[in-house]
Amino acid sequence: MENPAAPLLTTEGIAKSYGPVVALRSVDLTVEAGQVHALLGANGAGKSTLVKILSAVIGSDAGTVRISGEEVSFKGPSDATRQGISTVFQDPALIPDLSLEQNLTISGLERKDIDPWLERMKLSDLDFGLLVRDVPLATLRLVDLARALAHDPQLLMLDEITAALTPEQADLVFDVVREWKRMNRSVLFISHRLGEVLGICDVATILRNGAHVAHLDLDGVDETELVTAMLGEELASATPPSEESAANAERADTTDNDIVLEAVDLQFRGRVNGVSFELQRGEILGITALEGQGQDELFALLSGDHKPTSGDIVVDGEKMLAKSPYNAIRKGLVLVPGDRHDALLPQRSIRENLATPLYNRIGRWFTIRRDETKLVKNAIDRLDIDTRAASEVRRLSGGNQQKVTIGRWLVSDFEVLLCFDPTRGIDIQTKAQIYDLLRELAAEGAAVLLYSSELREIPLVCDRVLVMYDGRVVHEQEAATATEEVLLKAAHNLADTIT
Amino acid sequence: MTSADTTTEPTGRSFATLKRWGQRHGWTLGVWILLVVLVVWYSTLIPKFGGFQVTNIINGGTSWIFLAAAQAVVVIAGGIDLGVGGLLVLTSVTGARLMDGQPFGVILIIAIGIVLAAALINGIVGWVITASKVPDIVITLGSLYIYQGLALMILPKVGGGSSDTFRWLFTGSATGIGTNPWPAMVMIAIPMLIVSWWMGRTRSGLSLYALGSDSNAAFLSGVSAKRTKITAYAVGGALCAVAGFSSLAISGVGNATTEGGNLTLNSVAAIVLGGVALTGGIGSLVAVVPAALILFFFNPILSALGVNPNQAQVVQGVLIVIVMMVAGLIEWRRRRRS
Amino acid sequence: MTEDPNVTQSDPMAVVDDAPGKVSLARQLSARPQIVLIAVLVVMILVTGVIEPNYLSVAGVRNSVLFAVPIGILAAGQTILMLTGGIDLSIAMIATASAYVAANQSPEGAAIAIVLGLLVGIAAGTANGIGVGVFRVNPLIMTLAMSGILLGLFTGWATTIFAGSKRMHDFIITLGRDTFFGGSVPWAAVVWAGVALVVLLVLRRTGYGRNLYALGDNAIAARLSGTRAWQVLVVAYALSGLLGAIAGLLLGGRVGAVDLQLASLFLLPSVAAAVIGGTSIFGGVGTYTGTILGALILGVLQSMLTFLNTGQAVQQVIYGLIVVGLSWMYTKLAASQ
Repeated sequence: MENPAAPLLTTEGIAKSYGPVVALRSVDLTVEAGQVHALLGANGAGKSTLVKILSAVIGSDAGTVRISGEEVSFKGPSDATRQGISTVFQDPALIPDLSLEQNLTISGLERKDIDPWLERMKLSDLDFGLLVRDVPLATLRLVDLARALAHDPQLLMLDEITAALTPEQADLVFDVVREWKRMNRSVLFISHRLGEVLGICDVATILRNGAHVAHLDLDGVDETELVTAMLGEELASATPPSEESAANAERADTTDNDIVLEAVDLQFRGRVNGVSFELQRGEILGITALEGQGQDELFALLSGDHKPTSGDIVVDGEKMLAKSPYNAIRKGLVLVPGDRHDALLPQRSIRENLATPLYNRIGRWFTIRRDETKLVKNAIDRLDIDTRAASEVRRLSGGNQQKVTIGRWLVSDFEVLLCFDPTRGIDIQTKAQIYDLLRELAAEGAAVLLYSSELREIPLVCDRVLVMYDGRVVHEQEAATATEEVLLKAAHNLADTIT
Repeated sequence: MTSADTTTEPTGRSFATLKRWGQRHGWTLGVWILLVVLVVWYSTLIPKFGGFQVTNIINGGTSWIFLAAAQAVVVIAGGIDLGVGGLLVLTSVTGARLMDGQPFGVILIIAIGIVLAAALINGIVGWVITASKVPDIVITLGSLYIYQGLALMILPKVGGGSSDTFRWLFTGSATGIGTNPWPAMVMIAIPMLIVSWWMGRTRSGLSLYALGSDSNAAFLSGVSAKRTKITAYAVGGALCAVAGFSSLAISGVGNATTEGGNLTLNSVAAIVLGGVALTGGIGSLVAVVPAALILFFFNPILSALGVNPNQAQVVQGVLIVIVMMVAGLIEWRRRRRS
Repeated sequence: MTEDPNVTQSDPMAVVDDAPGKVSLARQLSARPQIVLIAVLVVMILVTGVIEPNYLSVAGVRNSVLFAVPIGILAAGQTILMLTGGIDLSIAMIATASAYVAANQSPEGAAIAIVLGLLVGIAAGTANGIGVGVFRVNPLIMTLAMSGILLGLFTGWATTIFAGSKRMHDFIITLGRDTFFGGSVPWAAVVWAGVALVVLLVLRRTGYGRNLYALGDNAIAARLSGTRAWQVLVVAYALSGLLGAIAGLLLGGRVGAVDLQLASLFLLPSVAAAVIGGTSIFGGVGTYTGTILGALILGVLQSMLTFLNTGQAVQQVIYGLIVVGLSWMYTKLAASQ
């Protein structure tokens, strides 16, 4: 029986794990009717997992979802829509090779169902015969929004909808949101643009480490207060500093060392918009940013996976023109990718995984190197890799897998280690071991470029840190004094408010 | 991050519309033009070009067209069916065996039955693919041989037959050779138009494109991958059956030793020439029809040029590879750009 | 305290095995499919012996082995390619083509005949490799087309370029048909053994072998480690062509003369042998040892079916069912781990 006094949507104790990795610990969320509700949290806090569960893309392991007081369960995304939750994803759920018109047909809608919303967003003239892949992303988001609304949901979920929209287009979205609220419907608004959040939302729920940590009324709150709330209480489980990390001050002064890697005004397809920096031997340079600010593409450029549309990458004084990762590796730039999926050979042994780069040249095809065993053993020892399940790397724990992805570059040589979020989602002990290793490598003369989404580890490991936003470097400073608050503000493009 | 300057697309500008139409339908137009060009060229190569020649080409090409259509339906949905050639042989010999000496009314019922049965067993193949998660290539490689084996079991020796009316339906004559191209053209046009309309305008048909183009977006849009795949294979199976009937109508007998694998290859080449992307989601039957006809047409043209029929096969094979390579390059460039 | 929202439900990386002692029987068996295969082989030999008591003799087993030899060598090519996620549907035709050329050149001497025959295989294989590795043509399509091209070439030039001898040189016939040790061990089996040793060596003890497995297991990771896929693929298809040529020469030797249907019967069994042996069409998993056992099983199966007087039709259906059924089973096993 529907209870009209009950909140529109409540979740209790939503939990989700992927094997040993906990994405959501326990989330309680309450959205009232006629409310614009912000869902906030740093990278990896669990926002996207929660959205996926509420939109029935994945199922939860535990917890209940209630709509108007009544418990519901979803069989799939269209079922969730039927029961009143419509979602606009960051990647619009539109079929690229079909026209907009055809996409409507697939959703069971007709043009007249979405016309009122199109008109509101000034899209009435849009030619629906266009193929989705020929329409700009921003327009697609708006069309997807119109489509979501046409299903007449009680709750509209918007996941980073304003990313890639111009301010004018964002205003159109806000106009729609206000209208929806006037109709006593609700919106769950996920965004990292805090200015927008304060402008359009009534309340906010903040997630951290897979659980809800705060629920705020946004009346009279400002951006820096939000950021502070997002930091939450300092959790006691901070990484125990090892002896070496405490001796950050003893690190060699690298200011006179050679510059081994230089990025000169790198541009790439609107995702990287003029990034320049210098990296010296023996230095660990940190990069941090919110999701999707161009850091992925930057690392892809540096590792040879893509060519920059303009700008140069200079290694040891020579420009690098990489047609494939092979060229970058030959120049000494090696990558530890952010996604272990991309780095590991799941069904091969530890040894094979560690030794992969040794045989990437035709000249090395003919035999297995006689010193392979020694090299592999050195790497295993140095990283303390647990070899009990040595036969198939997919059986290793996350931490061990990560060690293997780093270890392979200990087996084969390198000049610059490009590490993308190496400690994401792994246990504390392994994190500490990896920090120690990076510092050792730097002390031995290598250079490290480290992207990390975990702000607390920046001062523990890095010498300097750059903060990226929208494909640019917006802040730079010494890592030792970079607090989480400072970095989080800079990551939200509030660098000028840092005192 | 692309930020559009305008949220509307220019529609009043006829040049832009023309350009867009060209991009969307250019390949289709090109294939039809190529077909016409080839026909014209052929007419200059042989002493006499008239209804007889035209009819032969259309009749002979009918089974190629239906087989290519069957492959197109499956590939657009993101799969691939190596078994189509085998299913053509199977349905053709089953027809030959059952229809021999029967009156036309009975033959019609048998034909409908075979079409439904073909849809059913190929639909089961589709089900096996979704249930087992084994790639389409492997399962349909198996089904190719199963179909061929079954064909051999049903008609161990060349033989069987059908009726004059049946043959007339597909060839315009009771002997399989004639001067009336219209029955074949009608037999081609009606199913092609129906399937084409279904795929491009209805929710269930568009699901095939959705699944082949972006299975994740399809899932989020409520498309059932399982049901769509099975449907694609079932429809493909039905089209294979019609291809088999056409083959039976022309030769008059069933022959279970026909190499299904070669027929399958031709169907894949035809859809690639017809602009269907092997990765799925792109293509239309409107271009596949002339493409299949063009491929069938190679042989008569090469014969007219005085090329040894066996060398003709080589040339055909080489041309097919070239078509594939070009298609592969286009696909690669498309992937790099996105 | 850990979280990783990027990990999906069916993440092959998420399996944790911190207590290896608890491995179940099913898991152990699927990790070493060779044990199961040997058991199946033994059972099949016994069953065939029940059907035809004369089978359990040197002659009986020898016939099964003789039948298995070309399958086993062709399947070596398939194994190499399936490891990369590809396949070679032209290998039977390559075998035929090589035999044809060798027969043609037989009057010039065994050495020339063999060398030219092998070159044909390498050339055709390299062409396949360029198509698949450089032009990214689907391996299925490329090799199917190559098969058609070769057929056409040899049919077309049968009366001109290849109008010469159709009979194999005596030396090749010896290799293909004759035996030693008083009729028990065929020379062909020795050739197969030699091939097997080289293949096993390449797969297990060379950098190239590592690249093959890496490419098939995770092409992205291989690329990020610097492997250039097209190089590995061109060589892989060339090797397959070479193996096809070897098989073709042995077959031509066994029959004594060549015709265009020489090897066509062996195509599907070559794929089936690799599938039975546990090589996954997805790539990255498989051993030639398993394939060898698969080929032997098919050899015994052939004897069994011959004794049962089944026709080619039933055999084709059975092969098809084997390919489908076993792939399904192996996929299920791999997923459950």
